[in-house]
Amino acid sequence: MNVIEVQGLKKDYPLGKTIVHALRGIDFSVEEGAFLSIVGPSGSGKTTLLNIIGCIDHPTAGRVRIHDQEISELNDKQITDLRLHRIGFIFQSFNLIPVLNVWENVEFPLLLMKDKRKEEIAARVERLIRAVGLLDYMAHKPAELSGGQRQRVAIARALVGNPDIVLADEPTANLDSETSESILKLMRELNEAERTTFIFSTHDPEVLKYAGKIVKIKDGMIVGQE
Amino acid sequence: MGLTFKIAWRNIWRHKGKSLVIGVILFIGALLMTVGNGMISGMENGLSENIVNLFTGDILIISDEQEKDNILLDLMTAKPLKVIKNYEAAREVLESEEMIADYLPAASGLVFLLNPRSEMGSVYLLGVDIDRYQRMFPNSIKITEGRIFERGERGVLISEFARKPLYDFMEYWLLPQDGILDESKLPEEAKEDLANLDVRSDIVFMGASDSNSTIDIRVPVTGIIEYKALNKIWGYYCLVDIESFREAHNYVTGADRAAELSPEEEDLLATEDLEDLFSSGDLFTDVITDESITLDQLREETARELVDYDLDDGSYNLAFIKLKAGVSTQEALAKLNRVFREKGIKVRAISWKEAVGAIGSMAVMVKAALNLFIMFIFFVAMIIIMNTLSMAALERTSELAMMRAIGARKGFLRRMFLAETSLLSFFFGGLGIASGIIVIYLIRAADISTTNEILQLLYGGEKLSPLYTSADFLLGLVELGIVTFLSVIYPLRVVGKIVPLDAIVRE
Ligand SMILES: Nc1ncnc2c1ncn2[C@@H]1O[C@H](COP(=O)(O)OP(=O)(O)OP(=O)(O)O)[C@@H](O)[C@H]1O
Ligand SMILES: [Mg+2]
Repeated sequence: MNVIEVQGLKKDYPLGKTIVHALRGIDFSVEEGAFLSIVGPSGSGKTTLLNIIGCIDHPTAGRVRIHDQEISELNDKQITDLRLHRIGFIFQSFNLIPVLNVWENVEFPLLLMKDKRKEEIAARVERLIRAVGLLDYMAHKPAELSGGQRQRVAIARALVGNPDIVLADEPTANLDSETSESILKLMRELNEAERTTFIFSTHDPEVLKYAGKIVKIKDGMIVGQE
Repeated sequence: MGLTFKIAWRNIWRHKGKSLVIGVILFIGALLMTVGNGMISGMENGLSENIVNLFTGDILIISDEQEKDNILLDLMTAKPLKVIKNYEAAREVLESEEMIADYLPAASGLVFLLNPRSEMGSVYLLGVDIDRYQRMFPNSIKITEGRIFERGERGVLISEFARKPLYDFMEYWLLPQDGILDESKLPEEAKEDLANLDVRSDIVFMGASDSNSTIDIRVPVTGIIEYKALNKIWGYYCLVDIESFREAHNYVTGADRAAELSPEEEDLLATEDLEDLFSSGDLFTDVITDESITLDQLREETARELVDYDLDDGSYNLAFIKLKAGVSTQEALAKLNRVFREKGIKVRAISWKEAVGAIGSMAVMVKAALNLFIMFIFFVAMIIIMNTLSMAALERTSELAMMRAIGARKGFLRRMFLAETSLLSFFFGGLGIASGIIVIYLIRAADISTTNEILQLLYGGEKLSPLYTSADFLLGLVELGIVTFLSVIYPLRVVGKIVPLDAIVRE
């Protein structure tokens, strides 16, 4: 079954008097449980594509379906709830809440959900912090962590709400190669353990050996899939 | 503590500098507002105490033909007050009324003066039985030169406040009889030309009336007085013995007015000499109850006093009433007016506030100035807080956008911001209010007093005694709440405009 279906996706950015065609008609679908990598040179449209799939940007044309739900039909609140319950984000720049410690950062989405019981929340948070190997750092604030550790917190946070998809735009771009490798391994493990679909972008060929399916894009168009 | 408050609380500590800026503004704002409100309360309280105790009493009785109630210092119209016609009946009520501690019948009004160039000037006089005045308002006046005239003696007490304008207009300096000239009190131009200084010990004035006929009378100046407080207000009034006041207002006689009367009225008037008709209080009462004579103006203008040894037999145009302690002014007013109505006595009781309309408005102006000052602080505080918060919102854009991206609704971010501001406002504003209360008590303890008249108006009396009441506390909380609310509106809009896409950093 497909978690995501993208059809005829286009995105134009007005830039002064000209128009930048960031996406020129993208069609593809992602199966449940996939570990998909979007690859392409700088400026090819990777970020733009992930933002649209993640419902934080709107396409100029085309359709995106998540679990048979057409995104363009939803209002702001529904889209926010969809992001909360169905999508996990891992940002290139880690993006944690500075005033919350590791435990609280991971817990944050569950508290927003409001329908979770205390014990349920505690169990889930602990499971994920254990999974990313940060049990000893639970009480640390983001500023007291290394880049790799922060990205692990972000991964735990992205997965804590049991989303359908985790989106990660160049999750390793700010990390050294050794740390990158461990982060990708972790993502792969969680992908298998939790059966969560992962979509991440990269322009680093090294990263590709961890990928399952690969979608190559260039100048806003898909130029190959493998 | 909910999630929003937890984040808000920690953000306050994380952004200490900004929190402190907002906190200090809130603190200063709340402090100044509290002290300002205390000043206003103290002023109102002091003014009413000083006015009631020094000059008006709690209630005034005036003729019910008097159109407006603001009869004291009505500088705008300056029409003579209507004479109380059945004062004797009113007196009976006042004498027998339980709630009344004391009362003082009097005559108040503007009298005219002519200067050497035959120009017309004026001065306010209050005609009283001086013994009763001093019993009713003990310590209200202080004699600075000369002496207070005796009961039954003719005399006027010039107020220090009125002395200089009188000199400017009349071109002579008023000195009590047998008084010694105190050169230091003279106006500058008089000091320079001492040889030509004209000094006099009496003053000639005539009563003000709607008709042209009045009587000039010459009254000796026995003393110069100063009121205990609020000389800027009461200083307009010079005290005169009641008999001189009545004489000066000895209005028109029948012969002059008859020409303006209708034939039947003329007939009536022709039968008797008006002087005789109105020469006794009893007859006078009869006349006014007779509806066939509709000579309202004539009646009151000819309500001539008996120049008798009993000062109280003559005419008055008002009476000041002091109530016993603990009696409600409102209740007393209602009761007196009911009794007057039931007995058909043509007077009405009004509160001192109504009587001093003009002064009230001066107080209102001072109060308005204070309020304006508070509003200004309010406004400045609001602008600074608004700015700081908006900047804080913009600085935290990517953090807030990230929260939106991972599923926080706009309302969540707004609540977080509101929580942060409310915490600051509660803590620092509360501290400001508390400090304000302390400052108010310190000011009271410091015993600051003034002889400056403008300041006295601000102080509500001689002593600066701001007052803090529970109403002021509530007002302070409301003002603080409004400042917080208004200053957070715009920053909340800024927060509302942050979209999840802002979380994505692009190179
Ligand atoms: N807000 C914008 N306004 C105008 N043009 C934009 C905007 N965002 C992206 N673009 C353009 O759209 C194209 C695709 O950008 P995008 O960021 O999706 O590329 P990318 O593949 O993520 O590149 P990188 O590997 O450098 O991150 C680029 O040409 C970029 O200049
Ligand atoms: Mg990119």
